[in-house]
Amino acid sequence: MKNLKSFWAKTLIFLSVMGPGIITANVDNDAGGITTYSVAGAHFGYALIWSFIPIIIALVIIQEMCSRMAVVTGKGLADLIREEFGVRVTFYAMTVLVFSNIFNTISEFAGIAASAELFGISKYLLVPVCALFVWWLIVKGTYKSVEKVFLVACLFYVCYIVSGFLSKPDWKMVAESSISPSFQFDKTYIFMLIGVVGTTIAPWMQFYQQSSVVEKGIRIENYKYSRLDVVIGAFVVNIIAIFIVIVCANTLFTHGIRIETAKDAALALKPLAGQYCFYLFAFGLLNASIFSACILPLSTAYSVCEGMGWEIGVNRTFKEAPQFYSLYTAIIAIGAAIILIPGVKLVPIMLVSQATNGILLPFVLIFMLLLVNNKRLMGKYINSKFYNFCTILIIFAMIILSLILFFTAFIK
Amino acid sequence: MNIFNQTFQKNISAAKMFIFFSRLMDRPVFDKEDQRIGEIYDIVVRPSQVYPLSHGLIIRKGFPNRKYALVDWQDIEKLDTDGAKLKIDKSRIDFGKIPGEKKELTLRRDILDQQVVDTHNHKVIRVNDIQLLTVDQALMIAHVDIGTRGLFRRLGFEKSVDLTVKLFNPKARYLLDERLISWKYIQPLTINPVSMTIKIDVPQKNLTNIPAADLGDIFLDLNINHQIALFKSLNLTNKAKIFTNIDFKTQHSILDEMNDLEVSELLNNIPSDEATDFLEKLPREKTKHILSLIENKYSRRLSQLLGYSGDSAGGLMTTEYIAFTKETTVQAALDQIRELKFKTEPVQVIYIIDEARHLINTTNFRRLILANPQEPILNSAFPKTYFVHLDSSVKEVAYLMEKYKYFAIPVVDEENVLQGIITVDDILSQLIAFAWRRLKKIKIFQKT
Repeated sequence: MKNLKSFWAKTLIFLSVMGPGIITANVDNDAGGITTYSVAGAHFGYALIWSFIPIIIALVIIQEMCSRMAVVTGKGLADLIREEFGVRVTFYAMTVLVFSNIFNTISEFAGIAASAELFGISKYLLVPVCALFVWWLIVKGTYKSVEKVFLVACLFYVCYIVSGFLSKPDWKMVAESSISPSFQFDKTYIFMLIGVVGTTIAPWMQFYQQSSVVEKGIRIENYKYSRLDVVIGAFVVNIIAIFIVIVCANTLFTHGIRIETAKDAALALKPLAGQYCFYLFAFGLLNASIFSACILPLSTAYSVCEGMGWEIGVNRTFKEAPQFYSLYTAIIAIGAAIILIPGVKLVPIMLVSQATNGILLPFVLIFMLLLVNNKRLMGKYINSKFYNFCTILIIFAMIILSLILFFTAFIK
Repeated sequence: MNIFNQTFQKNISAAKMFIFFSRLMDRPVFDKEDQRIGEIYDIVVRPSQVYPLSHGLIIRKGFPNRKYALVDWQDIEKLDTDGAKLKIDKSRIDFGKIPGEKKELTLRRDILDQQVVDTHNHKVIRVNDIQLLTVDQALMIAHVDIGTRGLFRRLGFEKSVDLTVKLFNPKARYLLDERLISWKYIQPLTINPVSMTIKIDVPQKNLTNIPAADLGDIFLDLNINHQIALFKSLNLTNKAKIFTNIDFKTQHSILDEMNDLEVSELLNNIPSDEATDFLEKLPREKTKHILSLIENKYSRRLSQLLGYSGDSAGGLMTTEYIAFTKETTVQAALDQIRELKFKTEPVQVIYIIDEARHLINTTNFRRLILANPQEPILNSAFPKTYFVHLDSSVKEVAYLMEKYKYFAIPVVDEENVLQGIITVDDILSQLIAFAWRRLKKIKIFQKT
């Protein structure tokens, strides 16, 4: 009886702490992510599923450090970078972050436009409506209400799991290929692998996660729940990604259909897996795009205002935090407007966003490593030696991957 | 001629009097033989009256293995935007690994880029630059710069941005509007590593002059470590004031950082309605522990208050009020109030009771002052007194208070024994929450 009671008490605490980790991880499955996973599934079948296991580990380790820094210091990542490394570094990092996130936001609105076409709605209607909705949500909302909306958006990702089941996969093969890495020494395979891993950890995620944990005001004694939040987030996001791969592998790959975008994937699914699977897939894309189009500008505005020392807050009014809301509004407006230009090419936009991510990520990860090992800031909560070893390994891998992505973006 | 020369020189020095710290940072340092030994890293300052004066210079050398050395201010011959020249020889400077001692205030580590409290505008701000004033040979902190121009200066774009702005609008607000804030309004938030407190400058005391509600808002803009350190640095009266003006989460975190003695001191000094508001949200074991720490009589009263439901009159009331027995003379009552016998805030209303604390009547300050000092207090009472019961609802209380225009209404039990009072501010916050849920939400979230 007593055990049951304490179990409920713990569950309650977890529910109150839950949010930042799960939300941040889920935004990772944005329009760009869904595209990458669809293509991976369509072109290579189950052959890439094993890579999601190291991705989960990397995601947990990196995001856990952000969460820990937020709880211990009570400061955002941009705050800490400004205080420890000075204004110049912060300014340039923020400039690159703004650019990278503007391009990311454009690709989210591209996802909205794509799903508009799938549902047979004009994109000139759906994109402005979604942009307004996203803007209204943050400007009129409070942190708690916004977080609830985000958590509901996370629930909608279930539609990929349902569509995965609808495609009737061969579970034995899925299990086998996720445990045994099957490496192919093939140029396109390696590029795909880099694409899948490289889109997993983006610089804005660390900033967003740390700021939202700070905003939530999680106490150090509840930190273990915050860590659980990160772990659950990393698992959920990758399970959904695996299901996207499964859907495409099971239908498109077996029929040898080549695709370029998530929209192609959804369209190709219609005759193969049925109408329901198509609608679920398309709805999933719309949900993910709106959700990420909300978080990316928000995260940018947060980080920049933190670093530059301007007033921040979803809870403040436009007048109280003018820079915050101007930046947020501007990024949404730019993102939506560019997609509405007739005949705009999306490929260069995607490339620029990948390139800027690639430039920024190594710096952010190295700053994080220095900060989390700073005894003055973290006290007894600095990384252990083993943890540092793992982190350095991951950071190395991520830097190399994002550099390769960065260069291939220009060579191709 | 001589006089002219003197004033002329004075003008030159006047123009050079203000200097930005960002212009000094990373400038070269030379020893007396004009040999370069490193660059300016930081300046140690010591408080003197309102504005702190420079006391030492921290020099940095080497890359990537940085080393630092502290030089006494007296050993500096000249210091300006071209760099510094020392009076001493290179050999007399010993470099170490750590930049300066932790316990002294230094510009770069403790002020530049850090958050400080602007006690004039009641805000937490981030320092973009520091303006120093040359006084005799030393430098004095005059202002901190929190404007965009300060940011551009740090980035090295000030001149080009100035030029661009001038090109478009020579009278732009950007050029004239220097966002400088005088140091006397600045409270740094450096946490002393030993005592874990923040040093509040005594001659200014500005921080403690901020109204408690505003100080509570400033508090919520700080991170948890600064909140705890700042709280510890305040005196008991201010602690009590702040504690009742912050949200539960912060209260809880602060409480966890205090020892038993501090907790009992604090809880003994905050009004009972605020104390119960806080205690009823804590886990039961913690509440018990805290009640065991505080004065016996008060803790009994608190645990009694905790027994009432939060939205009944019993849960809303405070047990601090002014009451006199009906035979007390007006003079004696006034004397007792003057002697500060009551630690209550709402003194507008005074209650008249009998020996068994049954509520008899009410009077107010105005009536008391106008009454004949020799008469018993009962003669100054209102013709009739309205009251509520312990289990009366918020609505009933609000209705009665509005109808009879009460600042405070007495609460009695079934035997008509006075238990406490409900003041208009407690009812107002309940009603605002009731009538306009959204407003309450905003208020709560701003505090999280």
